[in-house]
Amino acid sequence: MISAKPQLRGASPPITRAKQSARSQRRQRTFYLFISPWLLGFIFLSVIPMVVGFLISLTNYDGLNLNKLAFVGMRNYGTVFKDPSAQYGFSRTLIWAAINLPLWLAVSLLIALLVNVKLKGNGIFRTLLYLPAVIPPVALVWTWKILLEQNFGLVNGVLSLVRPGTAVPWLSTYAMLGLTSIALWNGLGFGMIVFLAGLQDIPQELIDAARVDGAGNFQVFFRVILPLISPIIFFQLILGLISALQQFVLPMLAATSASTKIPARSVYLYMVHVYRTLFGTGRFGQGMAMLWLLIVVIGVLTVIVFWTQRFWVYSEVRGEE
Amino acid sequence: MSVEKRERAQLSRRDMLRASGVLAAGGLLAACAAPQATTQAPTEEAATEAATESATQAAATSEATTEAPTQAAAAEGHVVIMRNVGELTDDMVAQFQADHSTITVEALDVDLTRLIAMYAAGNPPDLVRVQAPSVPQYLARDMLYDLTPYFEASTLVKLDDLAPSNDYYKANSPLEVGSGPIYGMTKDWSPDFTIFVYKKPFEDKSLDVPSDTEPMTYDQVRELGAKLATFEGDRTVLFGFDYDAAWIDRMWSNHLLETDNHLYSDDFTQIQLTASDEARKVVQFYFDMAKDKVGASPINPSPNWVGDDFDKGLVGLLNYGYWFGAMAETDVTKGQVIMIPGPTWAGVRRDPTITATGMIMTKATKVPDAAWVLFEWFNGGQPADDRAASGWGVPALKSQYDKMPNSTDFDKQRRTVLQGELDLATAPLQFNPYHGETTVADAWQQYAEQALNGQMSFDDMLANIEQDVNTAIQDGKDAIGS
Repeated sequence: MISAKPQLRGASPPITRAKQSARSQRRQRTFYLFISPWLLGFIFLSVIPMVVGFLISLTNYDGLNLNKLAFVGMRNYGTVFKDPSAQYGFSRTLIWAAINLPLWLAVSLLIALLVNVKLKGNGIFRTLLYLPAVIPPVALVWTWKILLEQNFGLVNGVLSLVRPGTAVPWLSTYAMLGLTSIALWNGLGFGMIVFLAGLQDIPQELIDAARVDGAGNFQVFFRVILPLISPIIFFQLILGLISALQQFVLPMLAATSASTKIPARSVYLYMVHVYRTLFGTGRFGQGMAMLWLLIVVIGVLTVIVFWTQRFWVYSEVRGEE
Repeated sequence: MSVEKRERAQLSRRDMLRASGVLAAGGLLAACAAPQATTQAPTEEAATEAATESATQAAATSEATTEAPTQAAAAEGHVVIMRNVGELTDDMVAQFQADHSTITVEALDVDLTRLIAMYAAGNPPDLVRVQAPSVPQYLARDMLYDLTPYFEASTLVKLDDLAPSNDYYKANSPLEVGSGPIYGMTKDWSPDFTIFVYKKPFEDKSLDVPSDTEPMTYDQVRELGAKLATFEGDRTVLFGFDYDAAWIDRMWSNHLLETDNHLYSDDFTQIQLTASDEARKVVQFYFDMAKDKVGASPINPSPNWVGDDFDKGLVGLLNYGYWFGAMAETDVTKGQVIMIPGPTWAGVRRDPTITATGMIMTKATKVPDAAWVLFEWFNGGQPADDRAASGWGVPALKSQYDKMPNSTDFDKQRRTVLQGELDLATAPLQFNPYHGETTVADAWQQYAEQALNGQMSFDDMLANIEQDVNTAIQDGKDAIGS
């Protein structure tokens, strides 16, 4: 009998503990109920494919050789490090990220600053500038191909008015430049909206106080605005870095010819080589190894960026300490 | 149950995550264990065996498991076919099912990724649309159903009525294509080295239109293409001579065979570009054409398919087979197109098909009789008659040759030229069973661009292509355990 047992000083009466336990169970059930859609999706659509991908990376799987499947250990990982095309693709990807990421951040911030000015009709500009972000990639790329095509494109057509017969190979020899234009135009809307949200969160009194103290526009920007939106820059930097290292769609859609599905060499990015390894040559084991190595690289770079935030990201919590 | 026990019996969040992980891992291990249980690790001896031997065993196994076909009327079951919807429409499928009440058909769009997924799930389609290079690859992976007994018993697709293109579906081993058991057949085909001529630029430039009776040499084609290519400043407004770059290795192979040389070593374990003078000459020919901007190239790409460019009047000479004639005349090119014989590389004319698009039955099929009924109907029944009359290719059955269109002047002209080419289309190319269909073309595309831009020498380009392809071959050999 519960009531016959001695009670410890300070312990809850049994009936209260039972009530607490029932409440705790209900809360747990509710918790699991609410997170179960995400949890199931995460397990079946992320964890399991990643684990399967890792297992495939340890085999000689080519998509159709299940009856000849063999465990090859870490050989595929070693092959990636010796593969000149993987090295080339990775170097081009780093160049792509080094050009695109700062450019996208700077232009997005600049546009956000411009549309943050309180002017009549500003909403129209914000909408127009955001529009490219909602255009499907295929439609977007085809529009740009019409503009940038070497022999019959509109851009070269306009340039030909100045210098007849201009045929700049924007999507082959100069594809890095051509695709950067497309990426920038496409990414501007998202970048601008996020920066705009950050800018509108800055208390006006801080800016006013700086101006009363004699700060000019540049000082207000560099001493007040920039530190206050540094967490936003940090957030955009992380997202942009991951996106840039995974870039695949633009080279495959914009810089390939109709006959061959290999993009121009200047934009032969790492993910393009992964795709070609997987589906062009059927080397699924090696392709999966390449993907896992990319995950590791992204993880390491993300950790490094996180580590650097203590030097340049303004934190009110740390400031209060 | 006491309160304490009840509390212990509750599943903590940590426990749930742990259990989820164990369940997921367990499922994965179970999924991975199945194929491993049936996979024998290759012995050292087995690993050193020639591919021919393993493939011969595969062929033998295939023969042993192929049962004599039952009567078509008795066939029943659910057939899954991976097809091109333009060739086997939903209406055609409905018609087939209406005519064959015991057979149901599930038609999927042809998709390599889906095929791989279906194989991985142990449930591949029964019939698959393929091109010739897939045959040795699939044979090396023991994926093909030997259809010889079905062909022998068929009244619609008789073995002695098969056009030469069907030799691509006969093989004694992955390295011996051309004769032996038959694993499929072409839906239609063309000698693929003929050239379509758009006459207007010839008139504009006062050039003689090439003869449609006397074949040119490739040097003459290049020379003529260079004269036809039209520029405005740096802009190309007319490509002189164009071809499908995705098939460039097939073209190289055919040129080399004219001089009794081969693109690959005898055992197909090496592509031979740097060590073969003749191969260097062939590649140099295409490199020089690209350099001179005779046609579309990695440094002067066209956003369109070359066929579209021709239809828009942007190409003077286009290398394509008879099938292209069905779409060569447009509002722009109407009355201005002729087909001329395939050129010769070294004086020994060859004009095989290099695609041989057709159909195979997978060895994993559980309904071979029902699948055969659909196969036979599509390749020898009404759909085959309709295809023959459409002019979109030479029929796969010789008895249907006379059904090809012959009404317009262009139909008559291209059919006359075709007659001369059919006799040159007998010997199939031997495709490499170890690498993908576009491995060579992809490598060419990458490195040619760098070499054409002066970032790499011609010799380095050859070496890089060779290295890429040979690595792919080695990996392919490893994948099939030969």
